[in-house]
Amino acid sequence: MKTLRYNRIAILYILPAFLLILSFVFLPIVYNLYNSMFRWSSFDAAKTFVGFNYYGRLFKDPVFYISLKNNSLYAVISLVFQVGGGLVIAAVMEDKLIRKFQPFFRTVFFIPSVISIAVVGLMWQLLYNPEIGLVNGFLHAIGHSRWAHSWLGDSNTAIFAVIFVSQWQYTGYMAMLFLISMQKIPAEYYEAAMIDGASKIKTFLKITIPQIREMILVGTVITVIGAFKVFDEVYVMTGGGPGRSTEVLGTMLYRAAFRNDEMGYASAIGTVIFIITLILSLLQMKLGKSGQEV
Amino acid sequence: MSKKTKLLFVAMLLFALVLAGCSSSSSTTEEGSGKIVLKFLHKWPEPENHPYFDQVVKEFEKQHPNIVIKTDAIADGPIKDKLRVILGGNDVPDIFFSWSGEFARKFVRAGAALDLTPYLNKDTAWRDSFIPSSLQPFQTDGKNYGIPLDLDAKYFVYNKSIFKKYNLQEPKTWDEFLQELDTLKQNGVTPIIFGNQDPWAAIHYLTGFNQKLVPQDVRMKDYNPKTGEFTDPGYVQALQMFVDLNKKGYFMKNANSTSHDMAKQLFFAGKGAMFYLELVEFPDVEKAMKGNWGFFPMPAITGGKGDQSMITGAPDGFLVSSKTKHPKEAIEFLKFLTSKENGSKLTTQLGWPSPVKGATTAQNAIKQVAEGVDGLNKADGMAIWLDTDVNAKVADSYLSNAQLLLDGTKKPEQVMKEIQKVAKQVQSESE
Repeated sequence: MKTLRYNRIAILYILPAFLLILSFVFLPIVYNLYNSMFRWSSFDAAKTFVGFNYYGRLFKDPVFYISLKNNSLYAVISLVFQVGGGLVIAAVMEDKLIRKFQPFFRTVFFIPSVISIAVVGLMWQLLYNPEIGLVNGFLHAIGHSRWAHSWLGDSNTAIFAVIFVSQWQYTGYMAMLFLISMQKIPAEYYEAAMIDGASKIKTFLKITIPQIREMILVGTVITVIGAFKVFDEVYVMTGGGPGRSTEVLGTMLYRAAFRNDEMGYASAIGTVIFIITLILSLLQMKLGKSGQEV
Repeated sequence: MSKKTKLLFVAMLLFALVLAGCSSSSSTTEEGSGKIVLKFLHKWPEPENHPYFDQVVKEFEKQHPNIVIKTDAIADGPIKDKLRVILGGNDVPDIFFSWSGEFARKFVRAGAALDLTPYLNKDTAWRDSFIPSSLQPFQTDGKNYGIPLDLDAKYFVYNKSIFKKYNLQEPKTWDEFLQELDTLKQNGVTPIIFGNQDPWAAIHYLTGFNQKLVPQDVRMKDYNPKTGEFTDPGYVQALQMFVDLNKKGYFMKNANSTSHDMAKQLFFAGKGAMFYLELVEFPDVEKAMKGNWGFFPMPAITGGKGDQSMITGAPDGFLVSSKTKHPKEAIEFLKFLTSKENGSKLTTQLGWPSPVKGATTAQNAIKQVAEGVDGLNKADGMAIWLDTDVNAKVADSYLSNAQLLLDGTKKPEQVMKEIQKVAKQVQSESE
């Protein structure tokens, strides 16, 4: 019964981590579900049982659908720019012609992602300012004044203006992740491809992408889940406004909890966010058949 | 058990101890030294305002060596959210800032605020030292829960040289006002500077319009979360008036993406003729414009069914936590803070009008502030900021829709329907 003894020790080793995850991840999820069935506010001890009413209300709330739409926009645009764009940037930086300058570009592209989100938000708020902002200033300078716009102040453009800032900030970060895994690809593959006369684009599609498939998958999961958890960028730049046009699930939750004193409703939103991200990541893991590396 | 497993258990036990240590926060340290600790939370962390409170606290501690006051300050915007979280926690400040009206009332309903009526009744001299209209907004069911610190009111501030250039007078009625706005616009001057990035700026207009267009008793009934319906046609009219100001081009462009502070700079630079500003901002205006400015209250609306002589504004003040262990000392501090001496210091140092009778005078305040307070005394009363006077959810609906009214995505009728729906929901929940 040696294996059993070993197993017991093995379990003991896992136990601390397991307990930690249990108490800091799983219990809160269950507790949150419990909380979502009561009407309560943070400063009032009284709790009124409402059952699943808040979920019913949530699915009827038009803001919920605005938020879902905005989160999805976030996800799709981030996939194109951060994962797609990041891949291209990484591939270009790995190219022999540019590799000499790679450290320089690596730093330049990476810098935005180390700046705190509050700073980035305020900075872009100024850049987007219709009177003194650089964005409109640039448009005037190149003679396209009719494109000048109140970017964050118009409910049609505000969400795109906010999403763009995310792309600006994190594309470089993604490119860096891809770059690292590209550097692990054996050079022989590329030499062989060169001898066979494959074009650069073909090499990229047939060698680079399959070789870093795992990293692409990780990148996709990170961006998509990040897109559904996004809060700070939106909160700092627009606070969900104008009106509710840039509301995402995160800001909707915040508003319910700390503005409208509806902790129960906020908990219900939290549960829904959890379910959405859970389904998305399960789906991606299944599609990507992950688990071999990283 | 083998040695290894024993070791592991010890390690885990230590780990658990560390975790447990995290949870119990460090309790008040000064209590050991026999001193009473009072936690005081206000909303003025700005370097120009904070020293006043520091000074008052220091002075108080000197006079009461057995009391230590721990001051904390959170800025205007964030305190709206944070106050709710703080009051839900275990570390509740003994004395905390609150707006008057519904904002304070929800803490009262939750039992988080201490009833101060007995203390005020015991010391009638203290009670009578306040301008009556400043205590009233903190009342719920005839009981006093808050002590006012300052008085704030909203006035249209105008640029004197622009008014002179186009030969304009301070308007008495809304029609006169509109005419003047039109004159300004015809001459290529931006009539009203307005920054609505944070939509409370729009709410201040709506507070005034509602007060002037909706009968007083109906409005009071609607602002009460238990009976609010918002079906009076005056509410839609109020929104329409706000939209019209924008549609006719009287507001500056891009109001939704301009912050109030930036708008202020534009006004100071002479980029517009008028600006709807608060009394507490008058000292800033004076600093920047040096006498080249005047002010008038929102003009009366002919035919409006509401009260025409009230002024939009409210006292800011403090509540005492119902969980405080030292109510007597907390009251002692509030008395000190609102003494005539400290009230007049509030005016001299910060330029703010004090609700204490005789504390803000023509001698210690800039001329316009003294006149503004005078205007308040003459007015029928105050219409409290809409976003702090109605239930939080109704306020939220007003706030977010104000921006959409400006950019034209929503019509006043639509917005009002939405607000009625929210009011109904609030009603059903507050039984």
